[in-house]
Amino acid sequence: MRRVQIMFLVATTAVAYGAYLAFTAPLDALQGEFTRMIYIHVPTLWLAFLAFGITALGSIAYLITKKPRWDRLAASSAEIGVLFSVVGVFTGMVWGQAVWGQAWDWGDARLATTAVMIFVYLGYLALRHSIADPEVRAKRAAILGTIAVIQVPLVYFSVNLVRTLHQTQSIRPDGSTMPTEILVALLVNVGAFTLLYVVLMMARMHVAVLEETRMSATVVAGDAVAPPRLSDVKDV
Amino acid sequence: MSFTSQIREVARVDLVVERRTGETFRIVLPFAIVTLIIFSLSLGGDVAILRTVGPAVFWAVSVLFGMQLALRASALDSPTRRDLMLLLDLDPAARFLGRTLASATIVLVFMTVLFATMVVLFDPSLPGGWFWPVAAAISLAAIGLAALSTLAGGVAAGTRNRSSLASLIVAPLAIPVVVGGSQVLEAMERNSGILLWILLLITSDLALLVAGVGLSRPLEEASR
Repeated sequence: MRRVQIMFLVATTAVAYGAYLAFTAPLDALQGEFTRMIYIHVPTLWLAFLAFGITALGSIAYLITKKPRWDRLAASSAEIGVLFSVVGVFTGMVWGQAVWGQAWDWGDARLATTAVMIFVYLGYLALRHSIADPEVRAKRAAILGTIAVIQVPLVYFSVNLVRTLHQTQSIRPDGSTMPTEILVALLVNVGAFTLLYVVLMMARMHVAVLEETRMSATVVAGDAVAPPRLSDVKDV
Repeated sequence: MSFTSQIREVARVDLVVERRTGETFRIVLPFAIVTLIIFSLSLGGDVAILRTVGPAVFWAVSVLFGMQLALRASALDSPTRRDLMLLLDLDPAARFLGRTLASATIVLVFMTVLFATMVVLFDPSLPGGWFWPVAAAISLAAIGLAALSTLAGGVAAGTRNRSSLASLIVAPLAIPVVVGGSQVLEAMERNSGILLWILLLITSDLALLVAGVGLSRPLEEASR
C-alpha cells in the first residue's frame, strides 16, 4: 500500500500542475473560457482508450497464461475505463452545449460510437458480476474483453470516416494544429491523468486481491453443517 | 470426419432441434409481427409517417428479435450433449461455424418474412432495383447477428440471466450491422453508393467470424 500512497502523491501533484497550466494557458478566441474543457475532456477519453486497450491485453494474456493477475488487470482497467469514459462524455456534453449549442447529436459519429463503447464495457462488467466461479468468470470475461476492444479504433477513427460535428485529430504524426502553449498544457494534463490511472489501477488491483483472499477464506455454512439423519435422532 | 462435414453436421443438428421445438416460427416470429403492429398503432396510423419509418422499424425489430433467435433455447447445449461433442472430438471452430450457420439460416428466414410483413403493414416507398441490395444487406446482417450471438451465447451460457446478459453484450456490438443494413435503402433513396455500407457489413461479418474461430477453443473450455 505504501507504493500506492507515494504514487498517489506524485499523481496529485501532477494533476495540480496540469490544472495550473490549464488555467494559465491562452484561450481560443471563439470558445473563450470553454477552451479549458479540453484539458479534462481529451485526457479522460485518452485514458478510456488506454484502459480498454489494457483490458484487451490483460484478457489475451490471461487466455494464454491462465494466471489470475492478468484477469485482475483486465477487470480493474475496464472499471476505470468506464469511469473515465463517462467523465469524458459528460465533459464533452457540457462543452458541446456551450460551443455547438447542443449537448448531443445522434448524427455525430464520435458521440454515437463512444456511447456504444461505454455500453459494450458495461456488458463486460455485467458479465463479470453474473458469474460466481472465479475461473469461469475469468475465461469468459477474457473472451469478451478481447472482442470488445474493436470499439476503440472504431471510436478513434469515426471522425475520419464520417465528418460531422467533431473535428478530426488535432495532433497528428505530421504536427499539431494547436498553439504550442495549449499543446504543452494538454500533454502535461494527459501525462498527469495517466499517472492518476496508474494509481487507480494499483489501488483497484490491491482491492481485488483482498476480495479474492476474503472469498477464499469464507467458510460456507453448507461445508460446516451436515444435514440431520433420521438414524441420529433417538426420539423418533 | 472433415472440417466442413463437422460444420455441416453441427448446423444440421441445430436446425433439426429448432424444427422440433419450433421456437422461431411459433413464438418469436408472431411476437415480432405483433411488435410491428404495435409500432404502426403507436405512430397513430399516419400513412406518410409509416412509409418513412417502416424500414427503420424493420431493422430495429430485426436486430432485437434476431439476436433473441440466435440465443434461442434450442441453441443451448445440455451437459450431456457437451460431453458427447467432447467425446466425438469435434473441432471447436467447426462447432462455432456450424452453430453460426444454423443461426444465420434461421435469422435470414425470419428477417425475410419480417421484411415482407413490414412492406405490407407500412407500405414504404422502395426505390427501383431495391431487391438485390436489400437481399444482400439482410443476408450479411443475418450472418453478423448469428456470429455475434453465438459468441455472446457461449460467453453468457449457464448464468442465471443468460438471455438479458447476452442481449446486453450483443446489442451494442451489433451497431455496425444495424447501421450498414439500414443505410443501404437510405443510400439508394439518396442515389448515393451502397458499396460503403455493404463493405461495412462484410468487414463486420469477417471480423466476427475470425474472432469467433480464434476464440472458439477458450470459449469451449469456459463453457465446461
